[in-house]
Formats: sequence, C-alpha cells, structure tokens
Amino acid sequence: MTPHSEDRVPNIFHHAVRSAGAITIFIALVIMVASAIDKGPYIVVNTIVTGGMWALMAMGLALVFGVMNVPSFAHGEFFMIGSLVSFYVVTTLNEYLLRTSVPLLPVIIPLMGMFAACVAGCIAGALCEIMVFRPLRRRSQEQWVMNTFLLTLGLSIIMINGHQLVFGTEFKGIVSYWDFPSVEILGTYISFDRLFVFVLSVIAMICFWSFMKFSRSGQAIRAVSQDEAGALMVGINLDSIQMLTLCVSCGLAALAGASLLFMYPSYPSVGLGPLYNSWFIVILAGLGNVAGAAVGAFIVALFQILTTVYIGEGWGFVIPSALIILVLTFKPSGIFGSVVRGIHDK
Amino acid sequence: MIGFLKVIDKVSLTPLSILGLISLGVLPVVPPFNQEYLVRWLTMGIFLAAQAVAFDFTSGFISIVNFGFCAFVGLGAYTSAILVVRAELSPWIGLFASILPAALLGFLTGVLTLRLRGIFAAVTTFFIGLALMGLATKWVFLTEGPLGLNCPTLLKTSSNVPYFYIVLVMMIVAYIVLKAVVRSHIGLAFQAIGQNMEAARTSGINPTRYRIFNFTLSCAFAGWLGGFYAHYVGVLTPDVMSTAKTVEVLVAVYIGGRGSLWGGAAVAIPFLCATELVRSSLNELPGLNLVMYGLFLILIMIYYPGGIAQVYRKFLYKSKHPIPILLLKGSISGLQKAENEMLNRLAGLRKTE
Repeated sequence: MTPHSEDRVPNIFHHAVRSAGAITIFIALVIMVASAIDKGPYIVVNTIVTGGMWALMAMGLALVFGVMNVPSFAHGEFFMIGSLVSFYVVTTLNEYLLRTSVPLLPVIIPLMGMFAACVAGCIAGALCEIMVFRPLRRRSQEQWVMNTFLLTLGLSIIMINGHQLVFGTEFKGIVSYWDFPSVEILGTYISFDRLFVFVLSVIAMICFWSFMKFSRSGQAIRAVSQDEAGALMVGINLDSIQMLTLCVSCGLAALAGASLLFMYPSYPSVGLGPLYNSWFIVILAGLGNVAGAAVGAFIVALFQILTTVYIGEGWGFVIPSALIILVLTFKPSGIFGSVVRGIHDK
Repeated sequence: MIGFLKVIDKVSLTPLSILGLISLGVLPVVPPFNQEYLVRWLTMGIFLAAQAVAFDFTSGFISIVNFGFCAFVGLGAYTSAILVVRAELSPWIGLFASILPAALLGFLTGVLTLRLRGIFAAVTTFFIGLALMGLATKWVFLTEGPLGLNCPTLLKTSSNVPYFYIVLVMMIVAYIVLKAVVRSHIGLAFQAIGQNMEAARTSGINPTRYRIFNFTLSCAFAGWLGGFYAHYVGVLTPDVMSTAKTVEVLVAVYIGGRGSLWGGAAVAIPFLCATELVRSSLNELPGLNLVMYGLFLILIMIYYPGGIAQVYRKFLYKSKHPIPILLLKGSISGLQKAENEMLNRLAGLRKTE
C-alpha cells in the first residue's frame, strides 16, 4: 500500500476522462440525446445502424494504414468488388431457385453471396500485395507513404475502369435480400436487411477483435504495427503478415460492399462514396487506430444524419469536409490519437 | 549566336525546347494536323501541359501533392463564367479575373497545411477539393449545378486554331515565370523545404513564407488556366473539379518526372493524344484508355520513379558529343566545351596521322 500505487488508478482514470477522445464521445452522446428529444428516436436508431455499416470499412482502412503504412485510396474498390461478386452470386442462385425449390435456400442465399464476396475481397487483396506492393517494397522504401498513396490511386483507376470494361456501367442491384417485414424499434421502422447488416457488423467486429487479441497471427499483426524491426527480430515473417493484413482488410471492405448491395447497387464508381466516408472516419479517429475507427464510425454517422435532417440532402460532402479540415488543422493526429510509424517522414 | 544563346538561357529555354515549341506552333497548319478534331486534341494537350507545369511547381519542389488542384482550376473557371454571364463582363476580363479567387484560396490552403506534412497535406487538399465540388453542386443559384453553366467563348470563331495559340502562349508564360522563380533563391528554399524540413529550418529558412508563396502562385496559374477552359469549352459542370481530373494531371507529371517543370509538359501532349486515340478507335471497349494509364502510373511508380526527366538526365544530359551539348544545354560553357571537344578530336586525329 505505497502512496504511489494508491493514487495510480484514479490518476489514469482522471487522465482518460479528460482526453480528447472521451470528450468527443461525451459530446456526441449529448447531441444524440438532445436530437432524440427534439425529433424522436429516428436519429439515434439511424446513427447506430449506419455507424455499424461504416465501421467495418473504416476498420479495414485503419488496419492497412497502421500495419502496412499504406494510405489506401483503393479501399472503395474492394467494396465495389464485394458488391459485384455478391450481385452475381445472388442473382444466379435466385434464378436457380426459380426452377427448383429447395427448402431453406432463400434464407441462405444472401449469406452465401456475402461469404463469396469476402473470399473474393481476400483474393483481390492478395493479388494487390503480390503484384503491386511487394515489388515496390523490394525496390525502395523511401517516400513509402506518398509513393504507395499514388500507387493506390493507379489501382483505383484500373479497378473502376476494369469494371466498366468487363461488366458495363449499368446499375446492378437487388431490391432486398430477404423478404421479411420491417422490424420496429422504439417507434422507427427498420428494414430487415439493414438490421441484419448491423448485427453482421457487430459480429464481424467481435470476431476481428478476438482474432487480433487471442490468435498468434493477430498478435503478430499487432506486433508489426508497433515496431517492424522488433517484429523481425522476434522471427515474424513480414511478407506473410503484410499479405494477411491486406487480405483481412480487403475482405472486410468486400463484406461491407456485399451486405450493402440492397442500398448501393453495383456500378463502377460505387466505391467512391464509401471511400470518402472511411477516410473521414479514419482521419477523425486518428490514422492507424483501429478501435478508434470503430467508434469514430458512429460519430461520423451521427454527423451525417444530423446534416441530412437539419440542413438538407446533398450537403454530405461539404460539411464533413469542413469538419475534417478543422480536425486536420488543430489536431492532425486525430481524436483518439494515431498509432502509426512513419507519418512524419517524407 | 552567343548573344542569342545568352538571351534564351535567361528565360531558361534551351535550343531544343525552342525547336520543339516552334514545331508545335507550326503544327496546326501542317496537313495531317490541320483537321479540327486534331487541333482540339492538341489544344487540350497543351492545356494539360500547362496544368502539369503549375502542378509540378508544388509537388516537385515542396513535395506536397495538391490533390485538389482541379478544384482550383474549376474555381477559376466558374468565377470567370459567373462574372461574364451574370455581370456582363467581357470574357477577356473574366480570363484574368479568374486568377484572384484561386490565388486567395491557394493562400488559405497554404495557411491551412502549414503544420502538416506529406500525406496529411495531400489529404487536406483532397478534402478542400471535395468541399469545393460539393459547393459547386449545391449552390445552384450561382453555378447552375449539374445542369451545366453555359458561358460565351473568348472569340467568335468556331475554329480551334486561335485557342491553340492562346493556350500555347499561356503555357509558355507559365513555364517561364515558374522556372524563373525556381532558379532564384526562392527555388533553392523550396528544394530545401521539400527535401528536409528540419535542415531547412536550421539553415534559417522560414518554411511558412515559402510554402504559402508556392501554393498561392501555383493556384493562381491554376485559376488562370481555368478561366481559359471556361471560355474555350463554353459549358461547365461540377465534374470539372473532380479528383479524376487532378489524377490526369498527376499521371502526366509523374511520367514526365517530378521536380522538372518541363517533364509533365513534354509528356502531356503525346499522352493526351494517345489516350484520345485509344478512346475514339476502340469504341466497344470504353474505359480501356484509363485502364492503360492507371497501369502506366503503377509501372512508373514501381520501376522508374524518376520518369522521363530521369532518362533525360542520365543519358542525354551527360553525353559528351558536342551536338547534344549545344542543343540541350545551349549554354555558353557548353558551347565552349563543345568547341574544345572538337579541337581535341581534331588534334587527336592529327596526332594519329
């Protein structure tokens, strides 16, 4: 019972409560409650559901930046790949279903589509790692951040126009995944698909968190994001960890794309909107901070819904951009702090 | 002869570039090129080249990729168009009035990105560009939004040839001005800031002043070019400000080699003609030209990051033969060296006889 250990716990708590992150969360909760009193539970429910949707993509982006040091502007294209694969799987199976009737299949088809999309995303990520990032890593590591940023721009151009070339520019969408009726929560009606997306993202976040915390590969990924040289010294194979990170991140993005197919039909540049959203979230939360990205997703969703409700449709680019510019001016490391090496070198 | 070389060296042009510019200037009257659609391609190619010069001023020298560049071009374009359409001014006044708001916003951007480095500055300019595009879309009372703002053209002719010469003059002016700045002590300061900020500060360079100056000048030229675009094309949509257009300029600059103002300009014209050729000849495969240039960007970034300028510096610039020295360097010392070289060779030949 030394005087030191006695007041250590209250001190840490004190410090955490006063940090920028805690203050922002507190303000966001206050705003949510105030808007609920003003306009009813619509805003709160919508924020939670939309935030869950964006959290997956934002976490993938934060992971890629934190571990591989790559500011990926091609992240939205993996969303597009996911929605494309899911569309083709689901419509093909639906047509098969029209001819033969198999019990339980209508319920499982969307899940198969999402699973196929996740796998496709992982494969696309692996291809990018082998063909694009690995050769650059072998050649030179200087100016890595800016060079990979431009590389991902090139990747984005190729994927968008590749989609246009091979699959055409039509909107490939479905009306809904399941035909179940809307669910009522606190007076607001939410379609079953959106609720499922929220539940799926919560499950995915829990799986992701336990993977990172308890499995060896997850711990290896965290080690590489903290200190690359140290990880090498301990015997972690950097190449396979980078590949694994990119696969996981792109798989998450593709899963987000597949699960949102009913809302975002698949067309070449469908990934750009989610890309800008993910970047808002990642910058607000701090580059490379995965947990912060998950929380930041809800804050940005709240902000966007408030903008739509109080100011009007279509300002969705102007006002969040202004907010991000403010954040970058006054606190570039983000609200929850960024945990990335190598941001400050050229 | 030496006097001529001195003069053109003062405006930082080499004999090779003068030859190039003259041949470019004669192009629209030469038979295969005097068809209207080809002249249009050439005009847009030179427009891209001028943008590349202004873009490289920021990205090559202070190492900040101004990702919202085309938003500044679009800002100049919209300003000029709005002034001409709503305030009934002449398009020529609008062309020069478009410099002001772009320079002002460039100044603000420089101030905003003061404490940011590398990726943060690029992302900030990205969001500024996005915000500008959103504003242009939403403020329909001013900009007619996505429906398009029609504005009168600079000249009453329907031929593209006068516009070709106007934009050629604009590009040459931009290059000479920016190269003059780069050659002065300001340019040295830019390079110091771009390469190692701490060392620059230690040497007593105040990065604030130089960064703001760089942004303001680069965006002023962007606005000026935007004014030309508005009165050449005649219709403006918020798409003009999109990131895709900035990426076009960026690809040209990177293939040409960043840090050399002329690299992007030299590459832009053949590049634009090649992409337009692919686009118009392969109608069943839309977007193939863009896939090719994404591929090009990736290949250059991985395998040849220095671009064409690096090829030039490694192979041509270092050659010992007198004719390349005269053409490419055009300098007095180069000419004297060439003379010495020739004399040495003659002496060597005489010795072996």
